[in-house]
Amino acid sequence: MSLLELHNITKTFGPLKALTDLSFAVGHSEVVGLLGDNGAGKSTTVNMLSGIHQPSSGYISVDGQRQTFANRRASAEAGIETIYQNTALVDCLSISRNIFLGRELTDRFGFLDLKKMRDIAMEVLESAVHISGIDSPDKMVGDLSGGQKQAVAIARAVFFKRRVLLLDEPTSALSVRETEALLNQVLKLKAEGVSSVLVTHNLYHAYQVCDRFVIMSHGTKVFDVAKADTTIEELTQHVVLT
Amino acid sequence: MTDMTHDRAVAPRRSAGEWLHSLLSMPAGAILLVFIVVQLACIIAGLLFPDDFRYLSAANMGIMMRSVPVLGCLALGAGVLMIAGEFDLSIGSVYTLTAIIMAILVSNGVDAFIAAPVGLLVGAVIGLGNGFLTLRFNLPSFIVTLGGLLFWRGAVLLINGAVQVRFDPNPVFNGLFSGTVLGINAAFIWFIVLCLVFWAVLHRHRLGNHIFATGGNRAAATAIGVNTGRIKMIAFAIAGFMAAFAGILATTRVGSVQPGQGAGLELQAIAACVIGGLSLRGGRGSILGVFLGVMLIFTITDVLLLMRAPGFYLDMFIATLIVAASIFNHGLDRRGAES
Repeated sequence: MSLLELHNITKTFGPLKALTDLSFAVGHSEVVGLLGDNGAGKSTTVNMLSGIHQPSSGYISVDGQRQTFANRRASAEAGIETIYQNTALVDCLSISRNIFLGRELTDRFGFLDLKKMRDIAMEVLESAVHISGIDSPDKMVGDLSGGQKQAVAIARAVFFKRRVLLLDEPTSALSVRETEALLNQVLKLKAEGVSSVLVTHNLYHAYQVCDRFVIMSHGTKVFDVAKADTTIEELTQHVVLT
Repeated sequence: MTDMTHDRAVAPRRSAGEWLHSLLSMPAGAILLVFIVVQLACIIAGLLFPDDFRYLSAANMGIMMRSVPVLGCLALGAGVLMIAGEFDLSIGSVYTLTAIIMAILVSNGVDAFIAAPVGLLVGAVIGLGNGFLTLRFNLPSFIVTLGGLLFWRGAVLLINGAVQVRFDPNPVFNGLFSGTVLGINAAFIWFIVLCLVFWAVLHRHRLGNHIFATGGNRAAATAIGVNTGRIKMIAFAIAGFMAAFAGILATTRVGSVQPGQGAGLELQAIAACVIGGLSLRGGRGSILGVFLGVMLIFTITDVLLLMRAPGFYLDMFIATLIVAASIFNHGLDRRGAES
């Protein structure tokens, strides 16, 4: 049984048909590359999986259980964490406050347990996410580089034991070295049982880490293939020609 | 702010340069430095020339403690709202309106302990109204509350006319808000206590974390699951509530309400916040900064009065302070954005 599955999803915005009969699955410990040119419907798919949009028809299932993600929180509770292009972090808050934002550790009266949040943040940053340059969880996120910011977003997902990471164009703002570190991170998480969906139009980055590729065009799936059965040339052809 | 002090407590001794650097990189560090320097200068001058510069005299200290809390309370409310990313220009008018309502109720035989909460409630409800209009119609709060400023100023004249209202509450109420405890003015104690409460809420409570997140990056806060609309409504209500509280303090101290007394206070409150390092774009600032901003305005006012400088120097000094503070803060903002 697949971890996360989309069943015949159609999404319309008024007269505009953004997705048509889209179905694909993400297995356990699998990295799926969701590819396609601009306007193929990748972002709509991500928004739907993270609970921001709801399907017009069709449904999403997690562990075979049918789900309706009415909002972002519902999606997060089902184990899905989305890491956006402009990562959803607040520049003027510290790293540890960002990691726990919206899910703060507090006492009965809502006062923050800063020490515990700080210790956990440090531990997660040291053990789970290896991006250099982050030496203190008290650093303001605004002072971090693009890759470090994504590391913080990933640390958030790791700590809250997410099972699927949706990475929406994660490498577009990163340096070469940061990109390498991020892709390695995805592989490391896979080894720990966290699946990922890498949404990108950079085929080379996708080819480096993905086990399977789903190619979208004009709001629907046009190609779905395991890495072993394809080449980067074939993928390019499908993205460009369909 | 506090995280830094924590660091300093555990870290080994640092050189003076490092200490200065870490002080300046604190959210309210620069203003703290300016405040300490100004205070030291005043105290030394007061000790050297006790007859000409009566800064340390009991009378002068008493005047300071009585003048600070009104603007201080307005600035605390305005500051929380600014951190949440919105403005309230109507607090000066709301301050007068709620004071008038309270004074009229008391003069009609209502107990002050009932009239005061009514005033606070009216303040909070007007704040919520500002928030509702701002969020529901997606307007800049600057415009909405500019409307509020004029509307409620007019409403004061409609309800009361242009005459002053006497406020004569029971002695217990008077003692609670304008009495003296151990030589310290009660209103000043209220202000200090409120500063501590606001500090705890803003820097140590979940609500404060969400207020900073809402003002700092609303889209991100929403994506993470913070109800930013609700947070902004709460911040608007706090601004209105604190305006009404400032009204209680001022009215109890003076014993009457002037219909025109709130004019310009909203700008002074925002000025205090800006001097204290709050960003006009939201998400940045601290309660210590607001406190120091208010104290600095009054210290400078006081010094100029003690030196018998003409009144217009006052405005010019405060204007210079505001612009200098925002140049400095803008530099910090830009540095944060670039890196």
